[in-house]
Amino acid sequence: MISKIYFFIIFILIIFSVFSCEKRGNVKHHKILYWSSNNPDEIIFAREVVNEWNALQGSTDLEFQPVPEGRSSEEIILAAVVGKTTPDIYSNMWQGDVEYYARSGVLIPLDTLPGFLEFMQERCDNATLAEVTSSDGHIYQIPWKINPIMMLYNVEIFKQLGFLPPPANYSDFIRAASLLDNDMNKDGYIDRWIGYCEVLVVWYQRFFDFYPLYLAASHGAPLVKNDSIVFNNTYAVEVFRFLQTLYSKKYLPRERLSARSDAFLSSVIATRFAGPWEIAHAEKFKPEGFEYDFSPLPVPDDHQGEIYTYGDPKNIVMFNTCTYPRKAWEFLKFMLNKVHDKRFLEITHQIPRRKNLFEDEFFKDYFDKNPKMIPFARQAQFVRGADVCPVLKEIFDIISQEYEACVIYNTKTPEQAIQDAANSAQLLLK
Amino acid sequence: MKLRLKNVTGYLMISPYLIHFLVFVAFPVTFSLLLMFHRWNIISPMEFIGLNNFYRLVHDVYFWRSILNTLVFLVIHVPLQIMVALFFAELLNQNIRLRGFFRAAFFLPVVVSGVVVTMLWEQLYGYDTGLLNRLLVSIGLQKIGWLVSPQIAMPAIALMATWKNVGLYIILFLVGLQSVPSHYYEAADLEGASHWQKFWHITFPSINPTIFMVVILSTIGGFSLFIEPYIMTGGGPLNSTLSAVLYIYKQGFFYYHMGYAATLGFFFAVIILSVVALQKRFIEKETGA
Repeated sequence: MISKIYFFIIFILIIFSVFSCEKRGNVKHHKILYWSSNNPDEIIFAREVVNEWNALQGSTDLEFQPVPEGRSSEEIILAAVVGKTTPDIYSNMWQGDVEYYARSGVLIPLDTLPGFLEFMQERCDNATLAEVTSSDGHIYQIPWKINPIMMLYNVEIFKQLGFLPPPANYSDFIRAASLLDNDMNKDGYIDRWIGYCEVLVVWYQRFFDFYPLYLAASHGAPLVKNDSIVFNNTYAVEVFRFLQTLYSKKYLPRERLSARSDAFLSSVIATRFAGPWEIAHAEKFKPEGFEYDFSPLPVPDDHQGEIYTYGDPKNIVMFNTCTYPRKAWEFLKFMLNKVHDKRFLEITHQIPRRKNLFEDEFFKDYFDKNPKMIPFARQAQFVRGADVCPVLKEIFDIISQEYEACVIYNTKTPEQAIQDAANSAQLLLK
Repeated sequence: MKLRLKNVTGYLMISPYLIHFLVFVAFPVTFSLLLMFHRWNIISPMEFIGLNNFYRLVHDVYFWRSILNTLVFLVIHVPLQIMVALFFAELLNQNIRLRGFFRAAFFLPVVVSGVVVTMLWEQLYGYDTGLLNRLLVSIGLQKIGWLVSPQIAMPAIALMATWKNVGLYIILFLVGLQSVPSHYYEAADLEGASHWQKFWHITFPSINPTIFMVVILSTIGGFSLFIEPYIMTGGGPLNSTLSAVLYIYKQGFFYYHMGYAATLGFFFAVIILSVVALQKRFIEKETGA
């Protein structure tokens, strides 16, 4: 009988321990938790600035950790939102996700914090402010860092083709592609292409081909505005036609070039639409004597004016599990001051989204030491992020489907594909 | 009360499974049944929408395309798997040299990670740079768009999946073949039966239960086609390799349409049950079991 009672007690203890996991959302805690991205350089920066803040405050109230490891940080954040284990501050939020979380009521409207708007007006230009303002008129995010997508090109190849500076418009790009020797070892197989765009129909892949080219062609026009689709225009059609021509003439490969040595550094492709992260990679792995540079994206032949691109912005948000938003806001102002923006630039080589960054003398010595970053700093004035739309991923997926049908497989005209994409996407917004 | 205390040990013994069952089976199934009538993006409150998810399913061309693709995969994969597995099992059942080595070699792909196998085959299937096309061209044939042609991509994936899984079915068939009594063959030899006659009239009926099991296992395995298109093609080209599971996954975990994904999952489970029940009935009728 006694042994049965022991068994029963152990059973109850097991059940109790299984179901008594701490529910953080209900626990009062006086600390502020900050999650950065898990990029090693950003971890160094975040740790440095948090230590500095705590030393200044004479406390350890601010705690830092990188976003926990997972398949993607977006997935981890979603899991944290569901489990009410979100940090107070998160600094790697994709701009396109903010509206989804804002409408679900899990983000703090930052414009309700004292001095927020004045701070933002000093840091950002009006276009950036408009871009991050939510459909309800509130601002839930602070634009922090960008990685503008530009054209990375192999200097030697374009020198041989007689295209230096590299082709700036569609016709020149296609002409350069036609001149490129696509059989390096003369064995009868195509083994070199003018560039490479990911052929998988995954929505985010369009951030590296269609979307930046559309922004470049259209002077930064949105895809969605006031819950209406606005990409059914000649710019989108021309981008599709440009890429379709490159695929149909076999200047771009239809097969994936993954799981092999870097196609750009091994001169298998002459260009790639990419961000400043390529610099560290290229410097580490490039063959001896390999020369590369960056230029703005190709645009339609009749394009006039500035060339925009996708900025791949990652922003800072505060979750509504934050018990002390004002205290968190004080820290953010500290983290986002000029000195720390420069430190961020030096450590991570990502561009802080701050107006007139390149013209500001304060940052000059960084660019003197890192000349490869200059094109990105110049381009930083002409970037767009993601539109304010809670179904943006689905819209990019629809564009991807039409992109595949029209651009890669040539089963539709560009006009029809863009029209079909716009019609389908509009249904999502009803 | 006395009875309850007496049963405590019993409850304690079954509690690990019971907890597992309640948490990982009963709750998810019940919850997904509830989800079918709701719109839910995980973080917002659930919204009751009646039969809207079912209405959407009926009109969803991508879902029906994914079902068709999965059936195309099964039609190629299941018979191919059985024929190849039976052929090699029959060979490995003979007294050949290095039999043990070959048995292990055929089973090796089964234990290698699906992701690794998929990435390896992606290199073999490359259009301009893949080894298979280089081989074809070297013997004077045309290149094949293994993963870039909408007509070829699904058969190519079925071929790869067969290569990956056939080792398991070879082992199952070997067990079946070795259980056929040898005196059947001795009697047939005395009657002067040919190899083919022995196979058709003795081997084949004797291993019918194994064939049934292989058909059911490979059908259910085929319905869960996911890793190969997810990694190799993303469902393309032109949705030709978009499998039902991949589509349900996209709805659930790309777009957080949890209610709709649950509806698709439920409907897909009904299709699997129906196909397996039909197969069972057909095979039982054929074999008189």
